[in-house]
Amino acid sequence: MNAKHVELPDDLVLRVRNLGKEYKLYPSPRARFKALLTGVATHRSHWALRDVSFELRRGQCIGVIGDNGAGKSSLLKLLAGTLQPSCGQIERVGRVTAILELGAGFHPDFSGRDNLYFGGSLIGISPERMRELEPEIAAFAELGEALERPVKTYSSGMAVRLAFALVTAVQPDVLIIDEALAVGDQHFQKKCIERIMAFRNSGCTILFCSHSPYHIRHLCDAALWLRGGHVAQFGATEPVLAAYDAHTRERQEREQRALCGEMLPAEGEPAESAPAADEVPPAPVAAVDSGTACILSVDVKDLAEPVGDQPGLLQSQDLVVTITARGRGNERPHIGFMIEQSKGVGITSLATHEDGAAPRQLPDGSWQTVLTFPELPLHSGDYVISAFLFDETGLAVYDEWFQFLHLRFIFPKPLPGLVRLPHHWS
Amino acid sequence: MYSLFGECHALWQARSLLWVMTRREVAARHAGTAAGVLWPYLQPLLTVAAYYLVFDVVFSMRLGDNAPTHAVGAFLVVGALPWMAFCDATARGMNSLVEAGGILQKNPLPPVLFPMRAVLASSVIFGPLLLLVALAYLPQHGLTWSLVALIPLLLGQLLLCALLAYALAILTAALRDVGQLVTFFLSVGIYLSPILFPLALFPERWRWVLWANPMTALVLGYQNVLLQGLWPQMAVWAALGLWILVLAVLLNGLVRRSRDQLVDWL
Repeated sequence: MNAKHVELPDDLVLRVRNLGKEYKLYPSPRARFKALLTGVATHRSHWALRDVSFELRRGQCIGVIGDNGAGKSSLLKLLAGTLQPSCGQIERVGRVTAILELGAGFHPDFSGRDNLYFGGSLIGISPERMRELEPEIAAFAELGEALERPVKTYSSGMAVRLAFALVTAVQPDVLIIDEALAVGDQHFQKKCIERIMAFRNSGCTILFCSHSPYHIRHLCDAALWLRGGHVAQFGATEPVLAAYDAHTRERQEREQRALCGEMLPAEGEPAESAPAADEVPPAPVAAVDSGTACILSVDVKDLAEPVGDQPGLLQSQDLVVTITARGRGNERPHIGFMIEQSKGVGITSLATHEDGAAPRQLPDGSWQTVLTFPELPLHSGDYVISAFLFDETGLAVYDEWFQFLHLRFIFPKPLPGLVRLPHHWS
Repeated sequence: MYSLFGECHALWQARSLLWVMTRREVAARHAGTAAGVLWPYLQPLLTVAAYYLVFDVVFSMRLGDNAPTHAVGAFLVVGALPWMAFCDATARGMNSLVEAGGILQKNPLPPVLFPMRAVLASSVIFGPLLLLVALAYLPQHGLTWSLVALIPLLLGQLLLCALLAYALAILTAALRDVGQLVTFFLSVGIYLSPILFPLALFPERWRWVLWANPMTALVLGYQNVLLQGLWPQMAVWAALGLWILVLAVLLNGLVRRSRDQLVDWL
C-alpha cells in the first residue's frame, strides 16, 4: 500500500508527491494472462496521471476540473485508496471518506439495517459504533419502516439515500466527492449539500470533482486543473477557472474550425453559415403542479418572432427579462440569468443572491423577478440567454433553461466590438 | 515471498472485518430461505447420508482386500466430504474477486479479503461437518493418538484451498476462461483421486497422475486416520507440503505482478 497514514506537518491532511498511475493496456485478455504468468511485458502504457504533487490543508475545499479523460476520476480513486498508484506517494492523516458511486456493495436480499452494519464495517465503523449512529442515519435517510425490508424492494432513490447517510455518518478528515451531488430528489440533494457544508464548516477538507464551474466557484476556495494527467494549474479558484475556461473555449473553437474545415470542400458553403440557433432549443417543461421547483416562464420584452432560422430581433434598446418560477414549499428561491454570444464567449451572469436581491412572490405562490438592462450595453450581434433557479442558499440548482433563447440585438452605431464598458472622456 | 507476507499482514490488519465478511457470506448462501443457516450444512450432509444409505445399507457393497476398509459407503464418505469442501472453497474463492469488482472499485479494501472470505466461509460450513464425520467413525478404532493428525490435515486443507483459491482468483481476473477450465477440472478431479476407488485399484504406471491432484494426499491422510486408525503415511505429509510450497511460490509471483492493476481488471 502506498497510501500511508503518517504524521504530517502543521495542519496538512493530505500530501501527494509525484503521484503517477499507469494503466497497462494489453491487446487482449490472453496477452494479459501470458504477461501475468511469464512476467514478459507486452502492454502499451497509458499514464492517466503523472507527476502530480500537491498538498491539502485542514478545512480547504478543492475543486478538481479538467476535460474528460484528464485523470480526474483516477486521481480521486487513488486518493480514496481504491486504486493503487504506480509510482509516487500519498500521505494522509485521519479518516478519508469517498462518495464515488453510492449504493455499491448492498446485498439485495438483506434488510437495509443488515446492509447498514455490513457497509459500516467495510468503511471502518464497528457494530458498537454503528448502534450509536443508527438512529441518526435512519432519520437522515428517511426510510422509516423500510429499514427492515430487503434492499431489493427499495427504489433507487432510497438506496442512494441510505448509502449517502451511511458514508457521511462519521465526519471524515478528508471527504472526496465525485459528482455525487446530482443524486436523489431536490429535497434530498439539498440535505446532502447542507451536510457537506456542515462538514466543511467544522474543518473537514473536501476534494470535489465536478463539471459544473458554478458549484466549484461557490463551494471551493482552491481549484486543481488536470490536463492530460498533469497538474496544469493549482491555486485560487477564480484564476484557475478562468484559465480553464479559456482553454475550453479555445478547444471548442478548434473543434468547430476542424468541423467547418471538413464541411467546406464537401458543401462549398462559407464557414460562417449554420448559426447555432437552428439547433432545436431544449423544450422547457412547464409542469404545472408536479410539486418540484422549476422555472415556469422566461419572457423577453419587445422581442420579435424569429424569422426562418434567424433569431428574433430585440426591438428596444433595453433588455427586460421576466422570469417566473415555482419554488419549493415556503422557501424563497433565487434566480440566475446568463447572456452569451450565440457563438462565442460568455458576457455576464447574474443571480439574485449574488446581487442581494430577491424574487417577489406572486398571489398564486410562484416567484417572479424582472431583470432590466437599461440601454443594453452590447454591440450588434446574436446572443443567447439562459435562466437558472436556485434554492435559498444559492447552492442547489433546481432547474435550468440553458441557452434556451437566441436573440438578435442591433446597436444603432456601426462600431465594432462586443460590450460598451462604463467610461468617460476628458 | 515478500509479496505474500504483505498480503498476510493486510489480512491480519483487517481480521475483524474478515470475520464479519465471512459470517455474512455464510448468511448470504441461505438468505431468503425458511430453514436458514441449516441449508449450507444440510446439503453436504444429505449427500453423504445418501452415499451411506445406498452403498452400505441398501446394497451392502464391499471393497476388495487391498482397500483401507470394506464398506463402500464408509470409504466413499471419508473422501467425498473433504473433496466437496475443497471444490466449494476453490470454486467460490476463484470467482470471489470478479464478483467483488463493484465493491473493490468503490471501497479501499485489500483484494485478498475476498478469496479468503469465500474459503473461510466454506471451512466454517465443512469444518464442523468433517469433525462430525470423524466422530461417527470413532467407534471403529476408539480414541487413538492418530486422531490428533486431523488437526494438521484440516489446517493443511484450509491453507491449500486459500493459496489455490487466491491464485485462481487472480488468474480468473486476468482471463475469465480460467474459471471455465477449472470448473471442468473440479468436476473430473474426483476420478483422479483415491475417493471413489482405493489407490490400490489404480494401475501402477498411472498412479503418479493421482498425485497431480492436490487433494490426493489429504484424502489418503483422512483415510489413514478415520478408516485404519493409523497416523498418516509419510508420503501424505510430503505431498501436502510440496503442494503448499509450490502454490505459495506461484501465488507470490502472481501477487507481485498484479498488485497495482488487479482492481482495474475486475
